[in-house]
Formats: sequence, C-alpha cells, structure tokens
Amino acid sequence: MKEFMLFIRSEEKPKANLSPEQLQQHIEKVGGFIKRLTDEGRMKSAQPLEMEGRILSYQNGKIVDGPYNETKEVISGYYHLLAKDLEEAIEITKEDPRFEEGIWRVEVRPVKIVEGIN
Amino acid sequence: MNKSNKKYSRELAEHFFRTEYGKIVSVITRYIGVNNVETAEDIVQETLLKAVDFWQQNGVPENPQAWLYTTAKNITLNILKRKKLQTRHHSEFHRNTIELEQLQFSNEIILDEQLKMMFTCCHPSISENSQIALILKILCGFSISEIANAFFTSNETINKRLVRGRKQLRDNKVSFEIPKEINEHLAIVQKTIYLLFNEGYSPTQKNELIRLDLCLEAMRLAKILITNESIEEKTNCYALLALMQFNASRFKARLNTDNSIVEMKNQDRIKWDKDLINSGTLNLNQAMKSNQISIYLILATISANHCIAKSFGDTNWSAILSLYDNLLELEDSPTIRLNRAVALSKAKGNKKAIAELKSIELNSDIGEHPMFHATLAEFFKEEHKFVKTIEHLKKAISLTKNKRDLKLLEKKLIAVVPIS
Repeated sequence: MKEFMLFIRSEEKPKANLSPEQLQQHIEKVGGFIKRLTDEGRMKSAQPLEMEGRILSYQNGKIVDGPYNETKEVISGYYHLLAKDLEEAIEITKEDPRFEEGIWRVEVRPVKIVEGIN
Repeated sequence: MNKSNKKYSRELAEHFFRTEYGKIVSVITRYIGVNNVETAEDIVQETLLKAVDFWQQNGVPENPQAWLYTTAKNITLNILKRKKLQTRHHSEFHRNTIELEQLQFSNEIILDEQLKMMFTCCHPSISENSQIALILKILCGFSISEIANAFFTSNETINKRLVRGRKQLRDNKVSFEIPKEINEHLAIVQKTIYLLFNEGYSPTQKNELIRLDLCLEAMRLAKILITNESIEEKTNCYALLALMQFNASRFKARLNTDNSIVEMKNQDRIKWDKDLINSGTLNLNQAMKSNQISIYLILATISANHCIAKSFGDTNWSAILSLYDNLLELEDSPTIRLNRAVALSKAKGNKKAIAELKSIELNSDIGEHPMFHATLAEFFKEEHKFVKTIEHLKKAISLTKNKRDLKLLEKKLIAVVPIS
C-alpha cells in the first residue's frame, strides 16, 4: 500500500510563503478594512433581510455558544453550553426589533449549538 | 512496518476512503436521484469493500481514484438497468443510464456534484441536527457511531436524524441541483460547515483523530465552495475558510498528551502550523474583495492576530480589542462582551475589564455561566486579589457541568489556595 500512502499525502501547499512582516502587513490591512467599513456604517448587501443569517450568541435569556478564541483558548480553553433548538432561535430573532430594515445586517451566523451534555 | 506505522497507514487509508466516499456518493446521486441517496451510499460501501479486497490481493492500482469511480459506475449501471430503484419517471432513468455510461469522471464534475450534495443536505426543510448528520454521513463518509461520538449521543439518535432528514428530502421533493436563491442556502451551508469545524475543534471530543478529521473535512467542504463557479459572491466563503485555517493552525499545540487543554499563553508556538497561517492570510485577503464584512471575517482577523504574535506577550491586544468593538457594532451580546473583556484586560488593564464584566452581569444572566466566573477569577488573580479569585473559581466550579472543564478549574483553584 506504499504508493497509496504517497498518493494520499500529496496535498496542496500554499502558493506563497509569507514572511512575518508580510503576514503582519496583511493582517493589519484587513483590520483597517474592517474598521473602515464599520465606521462608515456601510455594509452593502445584495439580499433582502429575511434571507440573511443572524448572529445568535444571546437571545432572550438563552446564551448560545460562539466561536470566540478568548474564552476558548486564552482563559481556560473551552466551555459547552446547553442551548435550544436553532429553529426556535431563528423565530425569536425574527421578532427582535434590532433586525429591522436599515439596521446593521450580518452576513452569516456561525452558531454552535450542542445537545444536552450527559 | 512497525506497529505505529501500521496504525498510521490504516488511518490514512481510512481518511482517503472517507473523502472519496462523499465524492462518489454525490456523483451517483446525480444519476439515481435524491430519493435513492441511501442506495448511492450502499453502492459506494460495496465499492470500497471491493477495493480493499482487490488491492490487497493485486496491489494498489496506478490511479486508485479512477478504479473506485469505474467500479462504482459499473455497479450503478447494473442497478439502473435492472430498474430496482424508486423511480419517478421511467424516461428519466433511461436518460440517466445513457449519460452515466458515457460519463468521464473529472475533477470539475466531482466538485459540482459535491456542491449540489451540500445544498441538498442543508436544505432549509431539514432540521439542523439532521443537516449536520447528513453532511457527515454522506459527504464526509463518517460512520454512524463516529457521528454519535462527535455529538455525545447514541447511534439510534443519529440514525433517527438521518432517517428523518432523508424523509424530509423525499417529502419536500428536493432536487439535486444548485438552488436559485443561492445566498440564503449558502448561509446555511456555511453555518453547517462551521458547526462541523467547531465540533472538531472542541476539546471534549474523545477521539483525537475524529476531531482532526472533522476540522479537515470542514475546511475541505469550504474549499469546494470557493472553487466552484456557480457561487458568485465568495467573500464569506473565504472568510470562513480563513477563520478555520487560523484556528486549526494552533491545533497541535492546544492539547497535552493527557488530552487536557493547553492555554494559549503556554502553547509552544513552534507547533503552530505555518502553512495554515499562510493560507489563512491569503484567504483573508480574498475576503476583502467586496464591500461587506461578516462575523466570520472579524473572527478570522482576531484569530489571525493571535497566530502572528511571536509570543503571548507580543500579541497585539489593542488590535484585537478594536476588532471586538467592530464585532459589537454587528451584534452586542454578553458572550461577545465577555470575550472582548479578555482583550480589554490586556490592552487597558484588569480593573477596566473587571468593571466591564460587572456591568455585563448586571444587564444579563451571564452570571449563571461558569465561563464568566472563570474569566473574572483570572482578572482578580492578575491583580493579586486572591480571595476574590477563589470566590469566583468556586462559583465557576459549582456551575460547571462538564468533567473536563471541572478538572481544569479545580487545577486552577489548587494553584491559588494557600498551603496551610
């Protein structure tokens, strides 16, 4: 199975090897981009409101987990939350006045919902 | 081959088969219809079993992929010709049979069909649990017990979700195609991919190889989104992939040999994967092409700032704080504020962070959350306010339901309790 193993192992490598300075530059550039768009209050979106995802990290007393590094890795690694069904969470969001026309829209919603932990 | 090499080879082989499984099921489903996706899976199982048998006897063929696809194709043609499938239109099968006979597998076709499978599994009529189960089973080739393991539940529960999901596909007459209102569906696919990744990233996962596989699969699926031409607006796809790459780059440094978590300040940064950090950065760049920002983009940039720091002390905390401020503009929630408080403590001092947490506590019920108290305890500890540290660690311990979290918190408590 030797050739087989070689076959599997040939994965694509990144096209460029960035130096630490270049990495720094790129990351700062993105940071600036985000800041600019946030400050300008401009988030152009092609879709109507109902079609967009929502961020749900906290809705009406139900705290839902999110993919945040700081509490996950910096402080003490991780935590799991009991959370409700996503569909119910979506329904609650639709009633939330924050998501009316013209208010900040969020393109995608990464939400981690975990079933009851045993 | 010594024992560990053998194990490694077997795992690599399983990984290869796992990935090919999803690809072949997708292509075959195109020809026998979404109603028969289970049959497609059976066909591929049979193909892989034949492969193991044949290749062990006769050696691995020159082009293993082609061998698999051809075998699967032939099994499928047999089934089509014998008309053993649930059929909607006889003519449809006839047409499909002819097309399949002439099919030449190409990377493009394989990518296209997998994309359709992703949209199918993530159809809005299907519940989220079933969406994830379907993706893991069909696209990622996980077994039912592997999926059950990943979600801390039983094989029966997962099976129920799969059965329900497949039924919903039939009942809603979901067809195997790229949806017209692609953006709404794309958001669900992206969310599912990210949930997948989170499961792999979660250190409460028992089997380390399953965890890594989940992360790798999630990234592989995100790459399918990016390489496909049917999706015009790829900004969020790039951001999502970048986020996963930055987080995954720290994977190997995050775990101790006893499966406990290594906090970021203690991680050996040499173990951080430079290739993933590079790739993440390139993808982050691509995510700036349109004038949109998303939570994925901001989180990816936060993770990137961690990844490029030479040491914990060198981390650009004010950049991270600023990004959290931007995130709050999109959504203001106690969870985000809690995470932001860590950056705040590093950038502006513990006292400010403590004050911030106190105010979040007043305005929400995050005080019921163990992580809140663990974080507060950390800030008090930095301020040498040990009585408060102990108080909040104990509170965190009392609120924790998870064994691993508990272990970590108890370790922290022991570290601050004075030796009598």
